[in-house]
Amino acid sequence: MTKKTSALAAALLLTSAGTALAADPIRIGVVTPLSGTYAPIGQQVRWGLELAAKQVNDKGGIAGRPVELLFEDEEANPAVAVQKAEKLFQVAKVDFLTGTVNSGSTLAVGQVAERNDRLLATTVSFADSITTDKCSPNVFRVNARAGQQSAALAEWLNKEKPKSKVFFLGPDYEMGRSTVAAFKQAATDKGASDAGEVFAPLDSKDYTQYFGQLRASRPAVIYTSVAGNDTVRLLTQLEEYGLLRNLTVVGASGTVTSQNIGAIGKAAEGFVTGVGYSPEIGTPENKAFVDAFRAAYKTDPDLYGADSFGLIHFYKAAVEKAGTTATAALRDAMRGIQWQTPQGTKTMRGGDHQAVQEMYAVQVTDGKFRIVGTVPGEAAIGQDLCTKF
Amino acid sequence: MRDVMLSGRLATRGGGAVRNAVHLLALVFLLLAIAFGVIAWAAGDTFYLRLATEALIFAGLAMSVDILLGYTGLLSLGQALYFGLGAYTSAVVLRDIGPSFWLAMGMTLVLATLAGTLGGFIANRVKGVYFALITFGLAQVVAKVVYNTRELGASDGLIGVPEITIPLGLFTVEAANPAAFFLFVLAFVLLLYAGIAYLMDTPFGRTLTAIRANDRRVPFLGSNPLVYRMLAYVLAANVAALTGALYPMLRGFVSPELMFFHTSGNAVITVIVGGVGTLIGPILGSVLLTALRSVVGTWTEHHLIVIGVLFMLSVILLPKGLIGAIRPWLQHRLTGSETPR
Repeated sequence: MTKKTSALAAALLLTSAGTALAADPIRIGVVTPLSGTYAPIGQQVRWGLELAAKQVNDKGGIAGRPVELLFEDEEANPAVAVQKAEKLFQVAKVDFLTGTVNSGSTLAVGQVAERNDRLLATTVSFADSITTDKCSPNVFRVNARAGQQSAALAEWLNKEKPKSKVFFLGPDYEMGRSTVAAFKQAATDKGASDAGEVFAPLDSKDYTQYFGQLRASRPAVIYTSVAGNDTVRLLTQLEEYGLLRNLTVVGASGTVTSQNIGAIGKAAEGFVTGVGYSPEIGTPENKAFVDAFRAAYKTDPDLYGADSFGLIHFYKAAVEKAGTTATAALRDAMRGIQWQTPQGTKTMRGGDHQAVQEMYAVQVTDGKFRIVGTVPGEAAIGQDLCTKF
Repeated sequence: MRDVMLSGRLATRGGGAVRNAVHLLALVFLLLAIAFGVIAWAAGDTFYLRLATEALIFAGLAMSVDILLGYTGLLSLGQALYFGLGAYTSAVVLRDIGPSFWLAMGMTLVLATLAGTLGGFIANRVKGVYFALITFGLAQVVAKVVYNTRELGASDGLIGVPEITIPLGLFTVEAANPAAFFLFVLAFVLLLYAGIAYLMDTPFGRTLTAIRANDRRVPFLGSNPLVYRMLAYVLAANVAALTGALYPMLRGFVSPELMFFHTSGNAVITVIVGGVGTLIGPILGSVLLTALRSVVGTWTEHHLIVIGVLFMLSVILLPKGLIGAIRPWLQHRLTGSETPR
């Protein structure tokens, strides 16, 4: 346990001493990357959870018990994550686990949860497999999965540019290919046509070699799932070749982010993606959340921070419904439960443990993401493909 | 060949004390490990037993690095390739073919020998820093291939490896039982240790040491250094793969991170901290570093800095590693008069 959390827990114990003098804290283990490439995501997870835990504890905790968070660094490495998860389950005796970021860690830690008969929820991993073919009775997901993101984008595309020709450009590795395949499926189901696809190696310096094929197929829309500096090069090269005129660029949620939007500059203008959260959401709940987050951490929450914040409320609602933290009863309570998040009300689908939530299409306007469309949860969720339970 | 033996004898006159010192340390380690196992079992512990089991598994990887680095003088920066190969082979066999321990180990042995021979042919064409770079490159290539192969779970890795029962003739060991599996892995790793230690004491091992000292002179002794380097490489590949095969039995999954440089690099650090060319040093080093990582990692998120500083301190203050620091003292105690080498 870090000094910060112990201080927090101590403060909570003091403030809630009136209502729950003898109550044991509810311990939530957080296995998240605090060092390495994914540290910025882990930081958002931590802030979201700490903010929610503080607010919940100020109001008397969960069923009269204060929430205590125990953090462990998983280094975005499943082999480290399982070890840390086991430590939290076996030594710290946590009641619940969350925080895993990369889907490999979530899947591996989910198995640890299964073997320890405890429950786990991810607030970040978006690989479809976690709640489809590799679903687990002990794993829940409170954030939107990749399928929901591409469904939301396809929905927006169908509304704004129906039956358009779409060209697909992905990075040439397993995840890049699967995101392109998923969006192509979602878009063609809605009536878009396939103008061709190309896969460029990761870290490509020169995308112009694909521009001939791109122009020849005369698409109205280009979909891309490249990320990081690859997006910078792709979009600036498209701009330099004048190909962005009359072309709508859409992409995966990680394609244009706050990290690379500055480097892309005006070539990012008009880019559209589907996401599960945006700080721009105009509801009073979200405004209150964003204000509290900014006040505490001097920065905007992103979707990881918001979904992690929502997780504490998910757990609170489930424990109060079940009246216990025991695994079997809590699992039953979590299935079908509705809870409040900055994005509004979410519903946990019982069949595959996937949260159903409103999705958003966001567009870059003047260097900032603006919400340009909302897709109701039911339209984006897709089929329940989990057969394990 | 007789010359090698002769020079070996000359070099290790009083080497009996060296060997005895190291073997005594191995015995002490075994007794301490059994004591730990019994206490942890009596206390009903799961986590620490399984953490110790993992430390022993990574000790196997470190021993494999030590065969190359400490005996043959070859720095491998890609030993995780074979560790991962063993882990994936075992995971696939247990998951998709049948939960048979011996089948998994047999398949691992065959594949590791093939892959080790192939990798050895590529890497042993060069020496020194080029060897290090080639081994590094080979491991990166294979890790990327696994990372992008959907049949092997791609970036997500493979989960759902069953908890197996290991038949050992007279009795069986449940991999799900933390104390039993700990003792099993302890026995497995120490048997590997004993086997390698014996082998390093034979003319074969002496020739490897001769290659480390001066590989140009080895042909004059009538031995082809390339053959011996190949044998050492394949042996090391098998040691890494066989212990790697135990990983999914413990954790129930494999992921491409097991093949990444992170894993290879940690193994080299473990060998250097424990003591290069001692075999028992890497085992002790693995146990110490695993425990340290677990404790420091909970204490602060800046654990990499702490481990890094400790590594630098150990290189500066204990250039021969932990065992290198203890051994002269122990030898002195054993023989009474022997001057430390």
